[in-house]
Amino acid sequence: MKAIHVFIGFILIALVQVFVPAQMIWQQEDVLKSGNVYRFKTMPIDPTDPFRGKYITLNYEMNSFAIADTSFVYGDKVRVYIDNDDKGFAKAVVLSKRPLEINKDYVVAKVTGNYKEVISFELPFDRFYMEESKAKDAEMAYTKINRDSLKENVYAEVYVKEGQSVLKDVIIDGIPIQEYVEE
Amino acid sequence: MGSKFNKELKTLVKDKVISPELADKIEQYYATKDIGTPNKLFMIFGIFGALLVGSGIILMLAHNWDDFSRVTKTILAFLPLLIGQFFAGFSILKNKNATWKEASGTFLFFAVGACIALISQIYNIPGDLGSYLLTWIVLCLPLVYLLRSNAVALLTVILSTYYAVEVGVWNYRSAQTPWLYVVFFLAIVPHYILLLKKKISSNTVTIFNWMLPTSIAIALAAFVGNNGNLGFVMYITLFGLLYNIGRLSVFKELRTLRNGYLIIGSLGTVWSLIIFTFRWFWDEYPKMFTYDIQELYIALVLFFITVAVFGYTFWKKGIKGINLFQAAFIIFWGVYFFLPGIEILPVVLMNMLVFALGISAIKIGADKFNFGILNYGLLIISILIICRFFDTGMSFVLRGILFVLVGTGFFVTNYIMLKRQQKIKKQLKDLQL
Repeated sequence: MKAIHVFIGFILIALVQVFVPAQMIWQQEDVLKSGNVYRFKTMPIDPTDPFRGKYITLNYEMNSFAIADTSFVYGDKVRVYIDNDDKGFAKAVVLSKRPLEINKDYVVAKVTGNYKEVISFELPFDRFYMEESKAKDAEMAYTKINRDSLKENVYAEVYVKEGQSVLKDVIIDGIPIQEYVEE
Repeated sequence: MGSKFNKELKTLVKDKVISPELADKIEQYYATKDIGTPNKLFMIFGIFGALLVGSGIILMLAHNWDDFSRVTKTILAFLPLLIGQFFAGFSILKNKNATWKEASGTFLFFAVGACIALISQIYNIPGDLGSYLLTWIVLCLPLVYLLRSNAVALLTVILSTYYAVEVGVWNYRSAQTPWLYVVFFLAIVPHYILLLKKKISSNTVTIFNWMLPTSIAIALAAFVGNNGNLGFVMYITLFGLLYNIGRLSVFKELRTLRNGYLIIGSLGTVWSLIIFTFRWFWDEYPKMFTYDIQELYIALVLFFITVAVFGYTFWKKGIKGINLFQAAFIIFWGVYFFLPGIEILPVVLMNMLVFALGISAIKIGADKFNFGILNYGLLIISILIICRFFDTGMSFVLRGILFVLVGTGFFVTNYIMLKRQQKIKKQLKDLQL
């Protein structure tokens, strides 16, 4: 009798253990399927996470917005409404702590500073996991491209839907970064 | 039953301490006693096997295989999880022994970690290490109780400590207070208390007795923000709490080495109090106190818990059952909060306190015939004297004489105790003859 109670409890936990990662997948897949794609100009560098392995950190060119508002302080979560500029890259349209009634996609960013009427922020999708042998090469590839002043050619492909964002790929010179590093 | 034990039995029979019949009886008793309980060694190998395989899987997945498609990666993420769940469920349903439960629990623990890690990789899910550890702990904590698994409990303690330090100390850009650590820790406590009641002198309990205080002592750093001064107060209070817990009657039968609370509490108390015997530390005492700060609240909460534990012991055993180490934190609070302004007085009082602690350790050691504690007391006094060499303008002759005196103290006290011990042993032998 008692063992069966424990077993039922275990089944519940087991279901939660499956459900949580499955829900993570579902959420991401949904954004990938029905979200809009944006290109964010970026710069990759290469750190490590002890459990999840090598990734590259992406520093985005879009990391600040000029607005005179002292109510934005470090750590605030803000909605950054975005649109495409004439070259097809994402640009910030407006910053807000509350939902706005405008027909634009937004990503949720974290405020990292507010100085001289410029608010700097961090975009959430700053990690791109890579095979361990390739992450360092990716950083080097970027340095090289940057030296050849082809910076325009490095961007992240991000799917956005209702504030959720999924980083699909990082593109260097028109091809995905994994393939670029292999060449 | 070990062959060493059999050998001892034979020696006892040979020396006519026990009869051969009695020896047979004892042998039979132990031979039948162990039936039904799992083999300890087997259990340890089971846990270690699961530990290695589990962490191996995490490492392999951390390679981030580019060549696999998203579907393949997803299947790979769930495979170990389902295998782990199958074995854990099987061992619960069939009511398998502890070896099964510990091993399958350990494996499942890592499988959960691997699964969420791989999914974060596949979708480049943002979120730092802290939030990943958080999800992992929450998903595995119930296993401690469902499987009654000590290994999972210990892994949870380790991971929670990691979480606390990651969120509160290492993550310098956005240091937060890891309040959830307190929740995780408290969630493990009932399991630990049950274990204490069942088998206090087992090795498992000893591991917990060391892991739990170590974990709190490390994690407390994550609760100290910008007010480092009060951080020391928090730590001295925590060490007082640990020492007082170690002195509770539950742990009375334990050997000192099996009582991590006592040792960590005592060492920590002495170490942090010695810092306060330096004058420069009091010179940096904050001129104005702001009361509305997190550190003060945490220190106060710790203080009241410690006073409660201390008061309980006091009520049970009376003033004779208390030693100075248990009360050191109260004296420190008194000096720190009520006497700081008075020039040199707090420094003198702190020096006296540490000196008194050394003397009381020597006394405890002498009363218990414990050379370890005796020399620990001498060591405290020596360190105190060495520290005073740094900030006082004593002449070299005087310093030299002090060193010689302390060194002689080491010899004399140890010698006296050795003599006394030999005398008592001799008396015992005479009585037997």
